[in-house]
Formats: sequence, structure tokens, C-alpha cells
Amino acid sequence: MVDERRVSTGVAGLDEILRGGLLQGRSYLVRGGPGTGKTTLGLQYLAAGVAEGEKALFISLTEPTRSIKGNARSMGIDLEGVEFLDLSPTPDFFVQVESYDLFSPAEVERQPMTEQIVNRVEELQPDRVFVDSMSQFRYLATDPFQYRKQVVSFLRFLADHDATVLFASEASREAPDEDLQFLSDGVIELEAGPNGRTLRVIKFRGSDYRGGIHSISISDQGLRVYPKLLPAEYGRRFEPEQVSSGVAEIDHLLHGGLERGTITIITGPSGTGKTTLGLTFMQEAARRGERSVVYSFEEEVEVLRARSEAIGIPVGGMLEQGTLSVVKIEPLEYTPDQFAQMVRTEVEQKGTRIVMLDSITGYKLALRGGDLVAHVHALTKYMANMGVTVLLVNEVETIAGGEFRITDVGISYLGDNIIFFRYLELRGQLLKAVGVLKKRFSDFEKAMREFTITEHGIEIGAPLTNLRGILTGVPYWVGGQDEEG
Amino acid sequence: MGERPVVLALDQNRRNLELLAQFLDREGYELRGVSDLEELDRALEQPCQFSVALLDLTGFDERVWERAERLHEEGVPFLLISRRVGAKGLQEGLTRGAGGVLQKPLRIQELLILIRSLSEG
Repeated sequence: MVDERRVSTGVAGLDEILRGGLLQGRSYLVRGGPGTGKTTLGLQYLAAGVAEGEKALFISLTEPTRSIKGNARSMGIDLEGVEFLDLSPTPDFFVQVESYDLFSPAEVERQPMTEQIVNRVEELQPDRVFVDSMSQFRYLATDPFQYRKQVVSFLRFLADHDATVLFASEASREAPDEDLQFLSDGVIELEAGPNGRTLRVIKFRGSDYRGGIHSISISDQGLRVYPKLLPAEYGRRFEPEQVSSGVAEIDHLLHGGLERGTITIITGPSGTGKTTLGLTFMQEAARRGERSVVYSFEEEVEVLRARSEAIGIPVGGMLEQGTLSVVKIEPLEYTPDQFAQMVRTEVEQKGTRIVMLDSITGYKLALRGGDLVAHVHALTKYMANMGVTVLLVNEVETIAGGEFRITDVGISYLGDNIIFFRYLELRGQLLKAVGVLKKRFSDFEKAMREFTITEHGIEIGAPLTNLRGILTGVPYWVGGQDEEG
Repeated sequence: MGERPVVLALDQNRRNLELLAQFLDREGYELRGVSDLEELDRALEQPCQFSVALLDLTGFDERVWERAERLHEEGVPFLLISRRVGAKGLQEGLTRGAGGVLQKPLRIQELLILIRSLSEG
């Protein structure tokens, strides 16, 4: 039982949820309402079998072969080599049903159908079978007991022929399919809800699987699953070294820099330099030959590039070198699971070491659905486990004064480090100041420093140790240096 | 294999007769299907060779009862088939000598068992 052979589903991401694939020789139910992707899943499953040199059989009880092939083509699924048994009703079926009443259609139609299936399976000896859909048999049975018996014996017949079976069912309130769920070795549920399409494994006999609701997409690339990110499942060894900003004073504020595998919240009002500070770390990373990624939810790539280059951060050059990638995320383009998949590709395949989400509010607005704090939590913890230095840009509404808050979205608990910006009004001028509020793995400088951005980049002043009341936004000097501002 | 037993069936519906012929054939019976009373009369004029008769009452009026009585007289066991079978219909059928009154749609297995038992009895 331990070493059962796994059969790939042919769906990116689904094998991962199933810990390697379906178990060979068993039968699985794919359930869901109309248009949720059951047939697409089945088609990809069969095509994957053919690609591995297996024999695959599609038993269609509802849709004619021609239209199935047409749909597959539009989704880029290659059905070359997949065998079809078309048991869908022909146009004259309608006429015939009308014309006899001595027996029920169930009794009249079942036998020829069963014979065709048996003949085809015995002749082909398929490794993979997809039945679309098993619900049709329900109407060919005289009562629920007969139906159940037929399904069981049909599945057993296929298992005796060593086929791994996927069968679809349309569940509705009038015809629930609980019975099929009991009879199968596993249940994959597809749903199309207001927050996008999802997939969930409800049951998987003989194997562990990844629970929860995962988002899926159906496009001309076929069906794809984006496994929900469970940070605890990921991790790798990395040096707990500090990452320098390349600006001596900032490193000084942080007592060295930001550690790898930590999450840093950069928070402050609009226009203070949060993104620029993040890019400074990335510029220094590029100098070491490391790759960074900015996910920009608000600013266009070109704008970010132009304004960074104006202050001496060579974003264009870094993009060309491949040490930086700036990805603009359009609103409602991705679900959180899809976005997480994209980040995983960066981290696991491209070796990205610093990731900045700009900004948290943008993330919340752009991604659809679900508990976004939980998604940010999972995504950032995952990255931290993978040794990535995570920068979360957070914009606060307050410009100066008012109540001091770290973030407006309830994610401050995630931050290992918190760097904050404030506007100060001093002698009738607006200054910017930067400080560190929290640092989990080292001590840090407790004073704030003046922060300016020039054409050469970030410039940091001396510690503002003689100022009082900084967090009020209207501070005053002490120690006789100057008069109250 | 000797002569196959012949089942006589009256049914207005041609498709019903076709299906019946298929099922009976598989069980080793031959079907003589007729779809109106005149045809039935002609079939009965020949020396009787029927093991069992089936009369689907759908679409026929009381004149069908004369034929039922005739079958009874000639000693051909027969089953009545109807869309709805109430206590009254059942009573009426049995007094005319029917071996049973069945309601449509029929279960193929049950019909075959009845035919076998009537033809052997």
C-alpha cells in the first residue's frame, strides 16, 4: 500500500495537492455544477496518459465526440491518441422514446449501452478512463439500489481491467450525488463562485492530500490549479546574514541591515520614500548579483523606473541585467492563490532574494476575494521560510500629527521589523524623518533621523536626538540648540 | 433445437412489438406481433400454435374483450397490459381468464418470468 504507483492528473498544481497524483487502479469522482471544468479536467487527464504512452478512453454519455474535440482544441488540449466511446443520445433517440411505452427507456437503453462499454474496454484495455458523466446512469436505473449496484459493479469492472478512472457527476438538489462520493476512492470538487473558480479535494483514500480550497483558472492553456500556500510546508537552509541597504546611515539605524528570512513593514504617509527605501536595498542586492522583485499594485513600471533613475537608482539597468523585475499587477487580474504561485516561481525557480509588495493596500484592492490578511500572512511567511527578505510597503492616511498608527490593515503583527516614516513640521517647513520601531533579531537605533531624497539617492541626517514630540508631528527642540518650531 | 415457442402479441405500437421481439428472441421465443384486431383474428384462424398471448389494451375499445374470451376458450394463456391498472381493471381481466394484468412500463425480467411460467404451465 505504501508504494502504490501514482498517476499524473495532467493538471498543473493538482498533482501537488494529491501528493504526486492519483493512485493507480482506483476510481475518482469529479463533481461540480455546470461549467466548473469537470470535462476539461478529464480531458487533460486522458491527454497526460497518452503523452506517457498509456491508453486512454473517454466514455461520453452526454456530449457528442465532435463537440468534445472542438472544446478541447479551443483550450489547447491535444486529444491525439485518446479513444472515444460516444454513447450520447442521437437525434432519433427523441423520436424513439416517443414511440414506445411498453418498457421504460431505462430498461431498453441500458443493455446496449453496457454491452458497448464492456466490448470497448475489453478490446482497448485502457489505462485511464474518464466517464462523463456517471449521473446519466442514474436515469437508466429503475431505483436507487439498482443504480448504486450498477455503479459499483461498473467501477469494479474497470478496476479489474487495471484502469484508473475519473468520473464526473453533476450534483443538484433534485439529484444529489452523495452515493457516488461514498463509492469512489476520492472526490475532487470544482466550483465557480463569485470569488473565482476553486478546487477542493474532499476525500483521497490511501493517501495524504492538501486540504483547503485552491483557486483554479480555465483558459486557452486549459485548467490549472494554484495550490493554497501553506508556509509550514516550505523551507530551506539559508545563512541568517544581514542584507545591507548600501546606505551607511540606514544600516546604522538597523544595526547592520535587514536579516534574510524576515518580514519588514515599511510604513508611512504618501510620498515619504517608502518605495525608494525598498529599491535601495534592491540596488545593493543587485551589486552582489542577487535578484529582487517588486510587485507594484499602483505604480506603472515606467513611472517607477523614471522616477528611480532620477534619484540615482538604475532600475533600467537592473531590469536589463535581470537582477530586478518589476511586475505591475492589474486590479482583479489574479486570485491570491494565483498570485502566490507567481511569487513561488520567482523564489523557487529564479532564486529571488528580496521581494517587495508595493503596497499592502494595493494588494488588498487588486486581489479578489477571501481573507486577505490570512493570504498576506501565508505568502510572507512562506517567503520568510525560503530565506527571502520581504518588504511590505504600507501607506498610512495620516500626513502629520494625529494618532500614530503602524498600519491601517491589521498586519503589523506580521512584521519582524518595522521601519516608519513621519512628516515633521519644523520652523514652518515640512521635513521627513525615518525611524525603526521594532527589530526582532538585533538591537536598533532608537532615535529618528531626517530623511531626504536627492538626485544621488537617499540621504540620512544625524539622529534627531534633541527633538521631542516627533510622533505628534509637531516636535520641538530641546537642549538649547534651537527654538521651538 | 426444436421448434421455438411462439408468443402472440397485440400492440397498436409497432416499436413496442419490435422491442418485445428483441427481448423474446434473446430468451428463445418467437414473436408473432399484430397491431389491430383484424390481424389478430386472422392469426387466430390458423390452427393454434401460440404458447402465450400478450394483449396491450392501449388504444383498443371493448371489442378486445371478445378476443380475450376467444383466447381463453382456445386454451391460450394470456396477459393483459394496460397503462393504468386499478382494482376494477384487474377484476375484469381475471374474470375473462387473464393470467395477470400488468401495468406499463413493464419490467423485462418480470415479464419473461411470467411468460415462461404461463407457457410451461
